[in-house]
Amino acid sequence: MKSLQPARKTEKMEPRQPMPPLLQLDSVSKSFEAVRALRDISFDLQPGEVHALLGENGAGKSTLIKIIAGAHRPDGGTLQILGETVRHLTPATARKLGVACIYQQPALFPDLTVAENIALRLEPAAAFRRVVWPERRARAAGILRQLGAGLKPETEVRRLSMPEQQLVEIACALGSGARIVLMDEPTASLTQTEQRLLFAAVGELRSRGAGIIYITHRLEEIFALADRVTVLRDGQSVGTSRVGELTEFWLIQQMVGRALAQVCPPAARQPGACKLSLKRLGCAAGGVREVSLDLHAGEIVGLAGLVGAGRTELTRTIFGITPADSGAMFLGGQRIEIRSPPEAIARGIALLPEDRRRHGIILEMSVAANITLASHRRIFPGTWLRPAAERALALAFMRELGVRAAGPEAPAHSLSGGNQQKTALARWLATKPEVLLLDEPTQGVDVGAKAEIHKLIRALAGAGMALLLISSDLPEILGMSDRIAIMRGGTIVSLLPGNSTARQVMAAALGQPIDP
Amino acid sequence: MKSPLKSILLRHETVLLLILTAEWWFFSAAGRNFGTLDNTFDIIRHSVEIGLLALAMTAVVLTGGIDLSVGSLLGLCAVLLGMFWRDAHLTMRVAAVLTLLAGALAGGFNAALITWLRLPPLIVTLGTFSLFRGLAEALTHGVDTFTGFPEAFLFLGQERWLGLPAQLPIFLLFAAGIWLLIHRTTFGRSFRALGFSAEGARYAGIPVERRLAMVYVLAGLTAALAAIVYTARLGQAKADAGTGYELLAITAVVLGGTSIFGGSGSVAGTLLGVAAIAVLNNGLVHTRQPREVAGMLTGLLLLAALSGSVLLKRLATVRQRWQSPPEATERTSS
Amino acid sequence: MTRYFRETSVALALAALLLVLAGFAPSFYQAQPLLSLAAREAPALVVTCGMALVLICRQIDVSLGSQLSVCSVAAGLLASLHWPLGLILPGSILLGAAFGALNGALVAGLGLPSIVVTLATMVTWREGLRWLRQGVWVELPEGAQWFGLSQTAGQWTLIGVALTLLALLALAMKHLAAGRFVYAVGSDAEAARLAGIGPQRVTCAVFVLAGALTGLAALMNVAQSPQVDPNSGTGLELKTIAAAVVGGVAISGGRGNLGGAGGLGLAGLRRSGADSFARRGLLGKGDPRRGYPAGRRGGRLARPQTQG
Repeated sequence: MKSLQPARKTEKMEPRQPMPPLLQLDSVSKSFEAVRALRDISFDLQPGEVHALLGENGAGKSTLIKIIAGAHRPDGGTLQILGETVRHLTPATARKLGVACIYQQPALFPDLTVAENIALRLEPAAAFRRVVWPERRARAAGILRQLGAGLKPETEVRRLSMPEQQLVEIACALGSGARIVLMDEPTASLTQTEQRLLFAAVGELRSRGAGIIYITHRLEEIFALADRVTVLRDGQSVGTSRVGELTEFWLIQQMVGRALAQVCPPAARQPGACKLSLKRLGCAAGGVREVSLDLHAGEIVGLAGLVGAGRTELTRTIFGITPADSGAMFLGGQRIEIRSPPEAIARGIALLPEDRRRHGIILEMSVAANITLASHRRIFPGTWLRPAAERALALAFMRELGVRAAGPEAPAHSLSGGNQQKTALARWLATKPEVLLLDEPTQGVDVGAKAEIHKLIRALAGAGMALLLISSDLPEILGMSDRIAIMRGGTIVSLLPGNSTARQVMAAALGQPIDP
Repeated sequence: MKSPLKSILLRHETVLLLILTAEWWFFSAAGRNFGTLDNTFDIIRHSVEIGLLALAMTAVVLTGGIDLSVGSLLGLCAVLLGMFWRDAHLTMRVAAVLTLLAGALAGGFNAALITWLRLPPLIVTLGTFSLFRGLAEALTHGVDTFTGFPEAFLFLGQERWLGLPAQLPIFLLFAAGIWLLIHRTTFGRSFRALGFSAEGARYAGIPVERRLAMVYVLAGLTAALAAIVYTARLGQAKADAGTGYELLAITAVVLGGTSIFGGSGSVAGTLLGVAAIAVLNNGLVHTRQPREVAGMLTGLLLLAALSGSVLLKRLATVRQRWQSPPEATERTSS
Repeated sequence: MTRYFRETSVALALAALLLVLAGFAPSFYQAQPLLSLAAREAPALVVTCGMALVLICRQIDVSLGSQLSVCSVAAGLLASLHWPLGLILPGSILLGAAFGALNGALVAGLGLPSIVVTLATMVTWREGLRWLRQGVWVELPEGAQWFGLSQTAGQWTLIGVALTLLALLALAMKHLAAGRFVYAVGSDAEAARLAGIGPQRVTCAVFVLAGALTGLAALMNVAQSPQVDPNSGTGLELKTIAAAVVGGVAISGGRGNLGGAGGLGLAGLRRSGADSFARRGLLGKGDPRRGYPAGRRGGRLARPQTQG
């Protein structure tokens, strides 16, 4: 494998050869029911370039990728691959034309082995041909070796962790000989190790003359990897520029469309009484080992760590989804046992989960129904529903949190990501919790809503709530936390003050010695 | 579940009402003796058992599950009722109460397999569908029939009370109860949440296992109640009672607009669905069609109802695409 | 080892049962009854293969029993009209495939849940058949039984066909791309779509194949007696599902293989073994809790369904 450093763009701009673009989109549009996801998009991809796609959630990035991969049909405009106009693109034909795609959620077959997963993605889609297993295994082993991933081809994908699954996806892209590689937030669920492998793979693909479309929220990746960047806003292209000519601030401005004051307001207060105390809490099934932590009223404790460190699992143990089997929990000094979410809620503990669409809200139900879902006992005594009271409560929360929707009866799936997150937050605020666990509360949320949510979290702390904030966004953790707990391997390895530096936090997360 | 969804649901029930009216008009013209009061009461009598099962099935389907065992359980409970009364020499009242208990226990058995062993409801109830029927046949050695029930009991199924079929008040009471449960209580709300997303419901603090157990025990209880009414109506209890009733119940539920995938549905729709099926069956008898035609039509009706709702939804999206798309509901303010 | 845990345990259970029978009911091991047993189970084995495929694809088909009944009667009627075997065989298979195509179109094309669709088609075909035939058995002409061969030869033919089919399908599931597609779709249909495998095509094909196999099984069933029982398919779907599951197919799809043969063998042996025991007075009646309608104890006429 070539150098392990992220592929760097050359400082000097080389004279551009007049090569045909790998991909050309002209005036492409796409709507889903009433929502116009893309409007009049023009876009091109040159050989050997990394073209970043930047935009808020809902700006249309994923839709664009899916159109190029053949998973969606555009409503208007033309698509040219390698100079040829293509109509009626399907995933199979896209593959044949040399398009490979790495989605945010790995699209793998959990019951099949790694080797078979790679084979099914790379082999032609003809049904009546013979399958030669030794060939499959050897090919998969070869690709994995080239990538530098230490995965065994015979493992069932079910047994792989998320980062490992994403590696399989990258292997498929690498092994497919594709000229156009689409990557949708590829580093979202990767740890440092896999990230390095990904960047190396990107470099390898570039040197082959392939073009890469790279969607990411992380500006540092754009500056590290990309040659050009296109900014999308509300389904339209705001512009395409060479990365060397941009600043981070300008990029954010383009995405949001207005100047931003500050992303994270500062913290300043004295923590109150200890609300929740964990003493060597453990859950074997969840991989949580001997976690000891105190949460005080009015305090925001940031929980940092690499992906797979066990932070989400810890919240699930506290909340009762995967109950603890060792250690103890104390609430307000009294020992408690939480074996299910209803018990947690009854005790004033709330969890805003990481996966908003699957766990945070129920998409098909209305905003109002979502908000009251966790508080039935409190809001509807005697189990009788009270529509008027529900509506009033929903409106109050929508006003307080700034949820923009057609009304409290609007189905949750009609809201943008940020508003869905606010609805989810409203649900937990309605339970009047003493302790609130927030798992990646601003993930996949646009910059504007992000700031609003940060303000809300601040206000909650100010009102005396004890908050645990999980985030993979270092600036967020550093800006919001009064204290920072770092997890590694299922347990808390260090506790740092809120004014620590990013390097100190990263060092702790990696298990390296921390410089003072 | 308001606004656009509500309008579709309303539309569905209106369509059903139209179908019902069309059926009534057709059979009144085509069959003799159809539109009479006597016959209407007959329809009601015949449809109470299916109606009870369909009502309970509505709750089950709302949670995204299914219960294929209710028909067989009806048979088993009918046999048990006969055995309690004839062989154990208990009074009808006690026998009935014990039968209800047995039904609840059987439902509990389903619930236990579904919630503790985390087996899919389809497979569990497919198995108990066989199990319950097999038990009933074993208890009666395949041939035994229980007859000669007391007059007072048969009154329930065959006579009139205040001018209406005697089992109707039971049914109406039960229907009202189910309606309240599904549409006016937090239980109903949690059933819907479960049906839309079991994981999402769990994270929202809904006691998933308890709610699932509730609907399956309810289904078992209802099957027992239906068995009592059935026995009273026929005056006899046999092991093959209720054969095919689960399909009728599911058909009524789906016909009524409840989504087979869970989450959305209404009791009113189910009641209309039951009425539509009952009128169809009865009308076919009156127009001298053999019983098998009714069976075939039930199957076809189920397919039509399922396909219809999917096709309607697809038509709706196609139509929306042709209209000029309005602006997205909201984005972040610019 | 752990990968094939299910299959190994089934094989061990089978072996244990055979040993027990050898010890306690040696009358079981006479050639002719054993051959008859195997031939009698051969059609069910063929259907189990189809059912296993459907289950692996994460679907279910409870209409296969009714399909078998209809195809049996159709084949019997064609035989009584003196059609040659060369036409009846493809006819029966095509009829089964047509039923499967209908199921497949509704499940794959409209996205309807397979349990409800196949419940509906099951009832429709069953009632339709009953309406047309009124439970009357079909008399086969002379020489139609056992395809005109001797009983032993006929039985061996049927067993041979079933085992060959089992072997071919097992090979195809492992070494043919189409077979792997079934596993893929059963494991994650959306991933299959993104990988260029059309999940709708695969799902529909699986139903068609199951139907075609059932059509073949119907003919195999018809050939075994001089009359055709219009209820020959009753209870078949549960039996084949159980057999497939015992043999290692997961209800959730995506895994398993055609070890359903073992499961079926188990079920068949248990019944015959139970009969052998019964002859020695060790067991009173068969196990009623399994709930299969009392099997084919020698040409029982269909009981008319009473719905009151």
